[in-house]
Amino acid sequence: MTAYILRRLLQTVVVILLLSYFCYLLMTLMPGDPVDEMIMANPEITSADIDRLRALHGLDQPVWVRYWNWASSIATGDLGYSRTYRVPVTEILGPRLLNTFILAGAALLVALIVAIPLGVWAALRKNSTADYVINLFAFAGISVPSFWIAIVLILVFAVYIPLFPAGGTGSIAFDMTPWEAFVDRLKFLVLPVLSLSFLSIGTYVRYTRAAMLEAMGNDYIRTARAKGLSWPRIYLMHGFRNALIPLITITALSFSTLFSGAIITETVFAYQGVGQLVFESIQSNDFNVAMIAFMISVSMVLLMNLIADLLYGVADPRISYA
Amino acid sequence: MTDAALRQRELEAQPMWRILLDQFLEHRMAVAGFGVIMLFLAIALLAPVISAVTGLDPDRQNVFNRYQSPGSHLDLSTHERELRVQAFLRQADRSALVDFLAARDLLEFTVDEEDLLYELVTDYEPLALAEQLDGLMAAVPDQAREPLRDFRNMVADFRSFHLLGTDELGRDVLIRLIYGTRVSVTVGLLVALVAGLIGLLVGSLAGYYGGRTDAILMRFTDALLSLPILVVLIVVSAIDLGKVFGGTPLAFIVESRHESVIKMILILCLFSWMQAARLVRGSILSIKEQEFVLAARVLGAKDRTIIGAHIVPNVIAPLLVAVTLGIGNAILFEAALSFLGLGIQPPTPSWGNMLNNAQEMVQHAPTLAILPGLLILFTVISFNYVGDGLRDAIDPKSIRR
Amino acid sequence: MSTRALLFVALIVLVIGALAYVRPQLMRPGELPTNAELKIGITQEFENLNPIVMSMVATTYVYRMVGRSLIQLDEDSQWLPQLATEIPTLENGLARRVSDGEREWIEAEWEIHPDASWGDGEPLTCRDFRFSWEVGLSPNVGVPNIEIYRQIADIHIDPENPKHCTFEYREARWNFNRHHLFYPLPEHLERPVFERYADQPEGYEQHSNYTRDPTNPGLYSGPYRIVNLGLGSHIILERNPHFYGDAAHIDRIVIMLIPNTGTLEANLRAGSIDMVSQLGMTFDQSLAFANRVEAQDLPFRVNFQPGLTYEHLDLNLDNPFLKDIRVRRALVYAIDREGLTDALFDGLQPPALHNLAPTDPWYTEDPERIVIYRHSRRQANRLLDEAGWAWRDDGYRYNEDGERLRLRLMTTAGNKVRELVQIYLQDQWRGIGVDVRIQNDPGRVFFGQTMRRREFGGVAMYAWSSSPENNPRSMVSSEAIPSEENGWSGQNYPGWSNTRVDELVDELDRAFDEQARLDLIHEILWHYTSEVPVIPLYYRSETSVTPINLTGYRIPGHQISAANHVERWRLLDEDELAATRNGSDAP
Repeated sequence: MTAYILRRLLQTVVVILLLSYFCYLLMTLMPGDPVDEMIMANPEITSADIDRLRALHGLDQPVWVRYWNWASSIATGDLGYSRTYRVPVTEILGPRLLNTFILAGAALLVALIVAIPLGVWAALRKNSTADYVINLFAFAGISVPSFWIAIVLILVFAVYIPLFPAGGTGSIAFDMTPWEAFVDRLKFLVLPVLSLSFLSIGTYVRYTRAAMLEAMGNDYIRTARAKGLSWPRIYLMHGFRNALIPLITITALSFSTLFSGAIITETVFAYQGVGQLVFESIQSNDFNVAMIAFMISVSMVLLMNLIADLLYGVADPRISYA
Repeated sequence: MTDAALRQRELEAQPMWRILLDQFLEHRMAVAGFGVIMLFLAIALLAPVISAVTGLDPDRQNVFNRYQSPGSHLDLSTHERELRVQAFLRQADRSALVDFLAARDLLEFTVDEEDLLYELVTDYEPLALAEQLDGLMAAVPDQAREPLRDFRNMVADFRSFHLLGTDELGRDVLIRLIYGTRVSVTVGLLVALVAGLIGLLVGSLAGYYGGRTDAILMRFTDALLSLPILVVLIVVSAIDLGKVFGGTPLAFIVESRHESVIKMILILCLFSWMQAARLVRGSILSIKEQEFVLAARVLGAKDRTIIGAHIVPNVIAPLLVAVTLGIGNAILFEAALSFLGLGIQPPTPSWGNMLNNAQEMVQHAPTLAILPGLLILFTVISFNYVGDGLRDAIDPKSIRR
Repeated sequence: MSTRALLFVALIVLVIGALAYVRPQLMRPGELPTNAELKIGITQEFENLNPIVMSMVATTYVYRMVGRSLIQLDEDSQWLPQLATEIPTLENGLARRVSDGEREWIEAEWEIHPDASWGDGEPLTCRDFRFSWEVGLSPNVGVPNIEIYRQIADIHIDPENPKHCTFEYREARWNFNRHHLFYPLPEHLERPVFERYADQPEGYEQHSNYTRDPTNPGLYSGPYRIVNLGLGSHIILERNPHFYGDAAHIDRIVIMLIPNTGTLEANLRAGSIDMVSQLGMTFDQSLAFANRVEAQDLPFRVNFQPGLTYEHLDLNLDNPFLKDIRVRRALVYAIDREGLTDALFDGLQPPALHNLAPTDPWYTEDPERIVIYRHSRRQANRLLDEAGWAWRDDGYRYNEDGERLRLRLMTTAGNKVRELVQIYLQDQWRGIGVDVRIQNDPGRVFFGQTMRRREFGGVAMYAWSSSPENNPRSMVSSEAIPSEENGWSGQNYPGWSNTRVDELVDELDRAFDEQARLDLIHEILWHYTSEVPVIPLYYRSETSVTPINLTGYRIPGHQISAANHVERWRLLDEDELAATRNGSDAP
């Protein structure tokens, strides 16, 4: 078991290293660089200024040299300096990461709370009207463009019926008690969480339903029924428990869309999360920020894959690690 | 279907496709979805016909009639009218008509004969002018009769009806949505097909040969899968294709009118084959060990034969499902990138960029934003239902014998 | 359909009906903002507020609230002293031309406002300017535009009075005193940082107090100081008690970054912001919003102000079709600029005749001095006929070699107004048989690559924004044609080369007489409009949305933001507002 984990971890590290170079390369393939950005803001900048700045920022070096410099400074624990905001990367990234985790975590929680009962219900009442409606709802969730649902939510719940703020992360005020601050935060979270979770509810419902159907078809359910166990026990103890495995996998894997999925939601809702930051930093070629965010995202996905594999073992004793 | 009929069916040996078709037809939503897709496909294919019949053009603007509400009747812009007169005058010698009309004194002021037709079409309301011209039909000399009729018909066409209103340049929203269907559906279909093919290739190589080939290909696939896809798409779409393809035989892509569409398809293809590859590999791994493949190998069949004759047919079914679902995803990605301003470039309409253009005006002209969004929703949901139906149909466990 | 489904549909209909009914009541305007707090929305990112390295437009906007420069341009485009007490000129005797026989330069006396001080009470003196100049010239500091500092050879501080100093300029130029971008740095706070990190590339920027301790009041000299800075999120400003000028009326200003323009408007309607700055709505959106404000009597004012930003089309003179001046003139004649601004901008962005804006003192529309092209498709067609471009049945023109008159029209992708204009132009030129292909690049590709290397094949649309009375050298001199040899420097992207114009721009720098300058610039304009290397389109208008009770606010229409006079902004209460309304109703 330990050997297995170690081997997987090692593989993961190698993949992360290779990917980091790949991402760096991709970023450099984009034309223009941070200095070019300045031209747009200030037409009085001369080309001599541009060359001077480019040399100062080391942008005139070949890619692999820049990558090496970047990677070695990462290795010493220095995450670098955001060219856009002119502050250390940690300073800008830290709070954003936290915000995204709150948003994505809340969305995941909401999605699971809504999706699992719906999925189980649909599976138990297969081919009933309820099943059809739930399915339609789930498919709508999978099929709706994320920015569109965000815009519609703002239109309806912030403009037509002003129940929630139209965007932002929280009210900007100092004199709030912790409780008020918490409630305020919640109010700002409602619409982004709704929009983000609507997209994943569909997926989770579909998976829960399929897994549940699969589990209900198994022999032990029949045995359990034959033993005369009560319905809830059959469904929850036997059916649902076995349906959990694929659900765990898909939940873990959904972390890969944490940054990607949140980009649009965060942009539309002006939510100060890491997705929006990544988008901005790519747009302005802010290498240090984009690369660190890339790395965090990739590492997290790979790690979650590993955890999902390990959890299999916990949920299903038939799987072993040789 | 009655029990008797069912029993009767069971007695006859059904061909496989027949069973699958029946299974699929039982999934009502999948059939409905299929219908919707066919409808959209027909609309996409017939877009030029629709444009010709209705006289609406996705690029024709009417800048003094921007953001008109659905169901408006509008006159063509002066500029457009003048262009038509210009073309009309260029087509053939119209001096007979001009002489005739000049003698009629239709304007309250005198103009150069050269300018007469231009002044007529801009000074009069199109319908009023057509009426005037009708009145002249009786008095017209023979050599000017034909041109007058042409002129009259042209003028009568100057009024157009906009069922869904007009957009930010006074262009007809309906015809743009129809042309947008073309772009969005084409992108979806092509991307899913190409991605399916790449996935098939990579997955079958990995699954069939196993060992090191498998390890390398699959680690590569996993690595790509672990990348935050939208982020990578944002990066890749900023790369200048002119640099990549300049001087190569592919340079025509950059020159083409639809560069951004082709670029979008290429980018999406590059990053959407991974799921299909995994799926194919998985099914090959399970098939490879089955008796009929072993038997073929023992009998000395070549790799190519085994792959072609035994494995591919068994892989096609799940792949088909993956491709169907992939179409929906590709449409969504196209929309998302266009929404971020990185997708299909104007003036080519796509649902994504129409939405992007409309989003800031969403409070002033909500239909402009709501319609493309709904169309995306309907299309993608239909593809998802069809995929679901296909999956149910080919799933051996759900085949009721 | 089952009963349940029917009930469901009925419910939906009911909800929609209820919404339609309730909506008008909910849309009632909220409370007006008061002097206690004003919340401003912007859509563009800002960085930290170190004035010497800041390069983003949004940062310069905000910086004007917290920091001041040596001189300023007011709303009427007049140069006025800001931190200085007076602008030295040759006429008022504070500046003089000095010569050592070999070269000539200028020396000018500057005096800093006696009460000017930093937010921590430390007096603001010439030392802070000298220090800023020193930092600006350091090779390890990434200053965007080094010319601001390089034009000064030395700063001599009066040993008796640190508020008084003499600037020694490198050259004798008539516009030596235009220091609107010369900001002081607080030497008492920043000197130690600079000395410690001066030899590391970017060391100063990374360790500056503006980065590490941005709420330190000693960093700011304007009417406000920063009390909270959330990069990528918000800035909170409070009144600076040590400000040397009139105290600001508004206690606190919150600037919120909302990158999505649609969401920005929703925020405004929902009351979570009170005002949208110039860096907010797109022009199209502002127009629509202005109509809604009027129709629904919303408590906002939508401001439009034509500015110095000059939208134009660069014609690549290396293009074989565009080499022919008749083709270039035909392209100008074919564009209905009045029609363009009337149709797309409600006439609120004035059409342009040349690169100088009407607010520029050098502006002219005298047909004797410049060439004016009135829209005439007939004239355009005639020119193209003459140039040998003949119509074919497909509705386009071809030359004798059978080549279609096809031009590529490029601009920055994602700029909606430009994209609209682009499509409008495509349509206009179709009318004279020109086939226009649209191809857009993302902003940074467009400026960093396409324009800089002159890789735009035909026509490129973008804007310049300049200061009034600016020498157009970098746009018209043949030395400013970017090329491999000159390291792609200069912004003469069309590749226009006219020896007379080259002489004129050189003379312009040395012309100390106002009338002489006018004659020189008008001659440049004559060549510019006659040879058409560039097609002028329109001057962009700045737009903003302010609450109806905000007074003292004006968009200046040049690059110094409205925030420059933030201390004059005042929010009227209900009674005052009613009083002004009655006042304005009176004849």
